[in-house]
Amino acid sequence: MSAHLCFHCTEPVPEQAGFSSHIDGIKQPMCCPGCAAVADAIVAAGLSDYYRYRTETGKQQDVPPQLASLIAYDLDEVQQEFVAARGDLKEVLLSVEGISCAACAWLIEKHLAGLPGIAKINVNTTTQRAVLVWDSSQRKLSEILSAMAAIGYQASPFQVDAQELKNAKESQSFLLRVGLAGLATMQVMMLAIALYTGYWHDLETEFRDYFRWVSLLFATPVVLYSAQPFYFSALRALFSLRVNMDVPVSIAILLAYVASCVATVKGTGEVFFESISMFTFFLLVGRLFEQRARRKASENASNLQKLVPATAQLVEGNDSRQVAARTLKPGQICRVLPGERIPVDGRLLSAQTQLNESMLTGEQESVTKLKGDELFAGTVNLDQPIELEVLRTGADQRINTLVRLQEQAVAAKPAIAQFADRVARYFVPAILVIAALTYGIWLQLAPDDAFWIMLSVLVATCPCALALATPAALTCGTNRMMQQGLLVKSARALEALPTIDTLLFDKTGTLTEGRFSLAHTAILSDRLSENDALGIAAALEAHSSHPFAQAFLPYRRAGLRAIEARYHTGEGITGVVKGQPYRIGKARFVGDASLPAESIYLADQQGVVAAFSLTDRLRSDAGATIKKLRSQGLRCEMLSGDPNPRAKAMAQSLNLDDVHFDHSPEQKLAYLAALQADGKSVAMFGDGINDGPVLAGANVSVAMAGGTDLAKCHADLVLLGEKLQPVVDGIFTARATNRVIRQNLAISLCYNLLILPLAVTGHVPPYLAAAGMSLSSLVVVANSIRLLRRLS
Amino acid sequence: MSILYILIPIAMLFVCAAVAVFFWSVRSKQYEDLDREGYSILFDDPDNKKK
Repeated sequence: MSAHLCFHCTEPVPEQAGFSSHIDGIKQPMCCPGCAAVADAIVAAGLSDYYRYRTETGKQQDVPPQLASLIAYDLDEVQQEFVAARGDLKEVLLSVEGISCAACAWLIEKHLAGLPGIAKINVNTTTQRAVLVWDSSQRKLSEILSAMAAIGYQASPFQVDAQELKNAKESQSFLLRVGLAGLATMQVMMLAIALYTGYWHDLETEFRDYFRWVSLLFATPVVLYSAQPFYFSALRALFSLRVNMDVPVSIAILLAYVASCVATVKGTGEVFFESISMFTFFLLVGRLFEQRARRKASENASNLQKLVPATAQLVEGNDSRQVAARTLKPGQICRVLPGERIPVDGRLLSAQTQLNESMLTGEQESVTKLKGDELFAGTVNLDQPIELEVLRTGADQRINTLVRLQEQAVAAKPAIAQFADRVARYFVPAILVIAALTYGIWLQLAPDDAFWIMLSVLVATCPCALALATPAALTCGTNRMMQQGLLVKSARALEALPTIDTLLFDKTGTLTEGRFSLAHTAILSDRLSENDALGIAAALEAHSSHPFAQAFLPYRRAGLRAIEARYHTGEGITGVVKGQPYRIGKARFVGDASLPAESIYLADQQGVVAAFSLTDRLRSDAGATIKKLRSQGLRCEMLSGDPNPRAKAMAQSLNLDDVHFDHSPEQKLAYLAALQADGKSVAMFGDGINDGPVLAGANVSVAMAGGTDLAKCHADLVLLGEKLQPVVDGIFTARATNRVIRQNLAISLCYNLLILPLAVTGHVPPYLAAAGMSLSSLVVVANSIRLLRRLS
Repeated sequence: MSILYILIPIAMLFVCAAVAVFFWSVRSKQYEDLDREGYSILFDDPDNKKK
């Protein structure tokens, strides 16, 4: 391996790659043409400050931006889904891949703001999104998206999660309520100090009443505005004949407020505005905490729901035009060019073609389709322009039947009841009854104190710490997992992860990298060295979008370019490198059919010079990860859709407990159900659409970062990056999180059980009750924060 | 002590102003992205440089 690291993405630079860019006058090494192009574009735009101030490195640019697919975003029919009109301008919300720090946001904004036709661009690094307002008469959306791609960020419109829209509204009003409660509480507390010291040093009645009136003024917005969510939640619960934690909270706040008001007006008794304000403030802070975590999760989920503009070339007589795929009807004919996705399920009218069906099967190897065969929407045409007759559209398509299967599996998943909810169901009625009894008994003993003692019971025993115990720990656990490289999409996964005893892995794209790489190069003639042969092959393959071409990407060299390159569909590529004509492709294509068929051959005019064998390589840490998982007594199995029995050999080399291959999505789901019926708790790892249903049915589902969007959308966890290792750390973190949850529950239950007899016997004045309640919540939060610091 | 009748209302005005500023800052979405703005000071604005 070379000692040099790419200046843009800090991946190792392959030897003799020879790519570089001049940044601030210094020649910096680049690992691939993608990174070099991005760096050049950044420097050319005068934005090299990005490299000075970034805190995270850039994303490796191994995927060349697919301009062709962006053009479809310009169609009005497609734009209807996600673009809002603003007078003459248009506005769109984009999900941007590759934003890692503030420097990225600056780079995108500066680069785009310089382009004419762009009215506003605002990048949010927390949500990894951008709001774009532009003038569509001056500039097309596809041009803006490719301008972003030129500096290394892939942006696309996406479907905002319904949950997120709700959360975003809630979150803002919550922040307002918390802020107001905080500011008002400070004032009320300040006056309360004066009032309490007044007990010991005589405070004139005049000033006491004055302070009380001022406290009343400050506490009123807290009670009437900030505490609203509690009242509504309590009312909703009462209307559906349940009680929740907000019922005693609301009763305590309102009763204490009314009683304090009465005392203020009459100028007698006691006031507890500071207790009310503090109580409300701390409760709101706890809820805000919980809500932020939920919001983050739904934002992550939304970003994955990319809107892919499905367009099609409709053929009518001799004409063809671009239409949105959903407007197609069965019986119509459409044309698909090589490299494009099949827009709808249909029947092939052309003689034959090669398809990449990896979207459905997870396998990258191409499949040959003959005239009359069915083609499925979402698969990619590799070979030549074809025409197909539309068979099924919309919900009847194969891809949608898989989505439906997945939705059914989600619905059938056993829901884990929230502990806090269960506790609230028994705890809250008990508190209400105890408070009422306390009031009744103290009314006999000391009628003057009865009311305040009852309030203390309500406030002190409020199970707020109990309610915070789980969400606080889950939030911290989720953040820790994110640092370890696991994106948590549902907090439920953290509760389920430690109970897992069986792990199922899909093969292609999960245990393997899901793309071809060069396994072996054989030099068959002394006319070329191995390095030259690779360089020439890479230069030729640069002109192909075939999955095989990716294998040669790391071997591209700056000096070598193929000219007059032609792609011969399904056969290979011809081109001229350094004045010499070369052919690369299958054995038949290079003119020697006697060679083994699996390899790819490079030939010059005199004959074959090199053979390359390509394989889908195992992930570098697959073996080590499986070993670690098994050493912890977890059962690891392979569950693959690949019909090729090679899977068995791979499973043996990885030391897996069992292998299942050639399984359809339905069979996979059935196998999972059988395991679960045996009482096993199963985690499924997958990446393809074919894994969708089984991912949805598993107790915990993990999708790979490079997986299909559908798989990522519905998975509980998404592995960020190319490694499996974070799963091992993730299981440790999940265990630690569950331990903290149990500690939190124990702390809060102990507090409540201790304070209850003290409050009932009248030893806890309301301000101490509010302080105790707040303190117990803070202890729970502090205990949870320990999770963030724990190093694995 | 009667100065309190002036000082406390003034304090209340300050609090009202603080609440108004806070509401404005939340409503203009300044709390949406807390990771970002801290870095903006580092980047030179090419427009200002020319002036």
